[in-house]
Amino acid sequence: MFRASYLARKGAQLALTLFAVITFNFLLFRVLPGDPIRLIARAGHLSADEMEQLRATFGLDRPLVVQYGYYLRSLFHGDFGFSITYRRPVADILAERMVNTAILLGAATVLIVFLGVGVGVIAAARRGSKLDSSSVVTALLFWSLPTFWMGMLLVFLLGVWLHAFPISGITTPGAVYTSTLDRWSDIASHIVLPTITLALVDIGQFVLITRSSLIDVLTEDFILTAKAKGLSRRAVIWKHGVRNALLPVITASALYISLVVGGAIQVETVFSWPGMGRLVYDAVLRRDYPILESCFLIFAVAVILANLASDLMYQVLDPRVREA
Amino acid sequence: MGMGKRIIAVVGGLLLLASLTAGCTRETGGGGAARTVLKVGWSSEPDTLNPITTWSSEGQEVLQLIYDKLMQYDTSLKAEPGLAKTWEYSPDGLDITYNLQSGVTWHDGEPFTSADVKFTIDMIKEQNFGEYAQWLVDMTSVEAPDDSTVVLKFSKPQAFNPGLAIPILPEHIWTGMDKLAIRKFANDTPIGTGPFKFGEWSRGETVTLERNPDWSGTQPAVQRIVFVLYGNEDVMAQALRAGDVDILTEVPPTIFDGLTDVENVKAVSLPSFSFHHIGFNVSASPDSRGNPLLLDPVVRQALNYAIDRNQLVELALAGYGQPGSVLVPPALGTWQLQIPADQQMNANPDAAKQLLDGAGYKDTNSDGVLESPDGEPLEFRLIAIESTTVDVRAAELFRDAAAVVGIKLDLQTMDENTLGNTVYNTTDPDWDIFVWGWDSGVADPDYMLGIVLCSQIDGNNDVFYCDKEYDALYAEQATTIDEAARKSIVDEMQQMFYDSGTYIVMWYQDKLQAYRTDTWQGWAEIPGGMVYNFTRDNYLQITSAA
Repeated sequence: MFRASYLARKGAQLALTLFAVITFNFLLFRVLPGDPIRLIARAGHLSADEMEQLRATFGLDRPLVVQYGYYLRSLFHGDFGFSITYRRPVADILAERMVNTAILLGAATVLIVFLGVGVGVIAAARRGSKLDSSSVVTALLFWSLPTFWMGMLLVFLLGVWLHAFPISGITTPGAVYTSTLDRWSDIASHIVLPTITLALVDIGQFVLITRSSLIDVLTEDFILTAKAKGLSRRAVIWKHGVRNALLPVITASALYISLVVGGAIQVETVFSWPGMGRLVYDAVLRRDYPILESCFLIFAVAVILANLASDLMYQVLDPRVREA
Repeated sequence: MGMGKRIIAVVGGLLLLASLTAGCTRETGGGGAARTVLKVGWSSEPDTLNPITTWSSEGQEVLQLIYDKLMQYDTSLKAEPGLAKTWEYSPDGLDITYNLQSGVTWHDGEPFTSADVKFTIDMIKEQNFGEYAQWLVDMTSVEAPDDSTVVLKFSKPQAFNPGLAIPILPEHIWTGMDKLAIRKFANDTPIGTGPFKFGEWSRGETVTLERNPDWSGTQPAVQRIVFVLYGNEDVMAQALRAGDVDILTEVPPTIFDGLTDVENVKAVSLPSFSFHHIGFNVSASPDSRGNPLLLDPVVRQALNYAIDRNQLVELALAGYGQPGSVLVPPALGTWQLQIPADQQMNANPDAAKQLLDGAGYKDTNSDGVLESPDGEPLEFRLIAIESTTVDVRAAELFRDAAAVVGIKLDLQTMDENTLGNTVYNTTDPDWDIFVWGWDSGVADPDYMLGIVLCSQIDGNNDVFYCDKEYDALYAEQATTIDEAARKSIVDEMQQMFYDSGTYIVMWYQDKLQAYRTDTWQGWAEIPGGMVYNFTRDNYLQITSAA
């Protein structure tokens, strides 16, 4: 389907972008004033000797170029480094956190895309009606509200006042499970509030994109033809309208997933969700370079891959865009 | 059209399903006849479970339940037997002999002997592991003449018994590791001799400990402890209200007020071993880029007089603390030197103005800021940590108070890491005044007194204070066993440092904690807190309130 040369070119671009990102990330954090050892020393009541040795252990006393060399070499061997704060391999830390972030974002993305597209389609189909304008206004309203505030509101309304859902963590602390299903239902009940928070805040984009894209498509000639052929309203809108209007939504979804891989840090803070967002925030405060470098590398890879995927998908779905 | 309705139906159905399952009470061992699980809420989790390399209070809190020391602190913060049944000093005070408990086993079943103690102490001394090695500086040797006796020999008498500070590690697990290996050792399943065994650490969520049925002491009523991590303090307080946790390790002042009149919750304010202070850069190094006017004690003393510490406690700390004075916090009881109020350099702007005027600082150009006899204005840079809101508030009040006596302070806030690096730059420190704080490492005045030694420049000394006389007194008190004699030296040191005005100790903040009264009872409300303290005895003494 795709020419080998096209893929090869894309691959080379990807590699080059990644390399630039790696170098930039490496420098970015080390340029920040402060170093990870100083605060550890004060909190842990360490001696000057001990600090020097800690610095040496993590290679922080070597010149920047040397540190960069070591970093590239270990990256090549698939070694993500050793966290200064947690004294564990970064790969282990990331694996745990990524799973948690993935669960949350998987649920949120599914909800957002389906609900957002659904509302957008309805709004476009009934363009000009009260339903349309109220949907748009509501979506915009939620989009403009701060995520943290939204989260806290849901905590108090649904979690505390109605006592319908748990308000923190991924599982009930100290819980004893009778079966795997039991465990998964516990996790499910914990996912609800953070997912709703994310959905409410981010749904606006999908509503608006879907709506405007569908409105555009519905003005095309072939829609008129479909109507003239006597197809039902539902068939016109869904089979002919939405299918052609989905392209921008696909791009938006790919971008959304890649951006939110960074972990929805506000939601994670409010709901004590042990994900990537919180990890990165703490790592920045503590100047934990290995974690920061690895996390940002992953985010960059996610964005690059998502872009590539949406590029390729676009070509599959729309023959007009294919490379000649 | 129908599609929209269908989507809403599906989503609504999912929510309904989820809410039904949420409503189901989960078996957590909390209810029933007698309670068995204690749940502790905190807002930060341990960094590692390696007792040698951990630097977080959370790590210490968990590890002190898993590992025993030779001696432990009881609820009046006095020494009680730990792994050592008894201990005695030799007549010349240079040797300490510990008689160990018998029949003690490690959590993995291996027998505990004096060899483990000798191994631990040798390892720390040889590898010079910072936090613990400082207590073994004068140690010459450690011997284990038989399986239940250990003798530590020192070159000078030790006022602080190191048995109180050092966790004992199992030789059969830690042997053979060099320094680098120990530093990288995650110790994911810590094995100790303590009252609780390690259960599991679900990172980012909970740490679980299980009662050790073979522990050498009395079996506690608590069978399981779960430390629950909250990303957000409001939600954490909510969890306490809802009964999801039984006690919180630290409550911020803003939330504390809200917990004072909640049913079945008791909010407690206790003296702590910590203070917040203003520090002056008194580095005498020619490379220092701090303002040299701060080297004049008159300027520092004037700033001491300018500020009202009572006002700071009321306005910045919302009343949750004691006004500060000397290095040693009041929680350490009689160790703190009581300076009579009329002799304190506090809340007296007139005295400040007189001091400055008498030393030749005048406002020659009438701009409200005094100048030195050489014409240098008394203008200094003030830095504070932006996320510590009480410090920022205190810095603002300090700035205003200094302006009244003719000293201009330019306030800049920054994150903790940047401030730490700015202050501790020993080559060419480029700062004048900061706002920060200290927590004591042990329940003994030695720690706080030892911060401002000459030898601690490049270590803990955050102001570059260096006075040989002070250092000599420190060495003396560290080796004076007689408490009365030691106290008079400690008093002298406190007075000396106070007079220099190098720290303005603003306040000794209260430890704010809260716990449920309907789940566990028997909490001893002691200085330093019920939990998160040098003593672990509260965990061992509480009983079910059901």
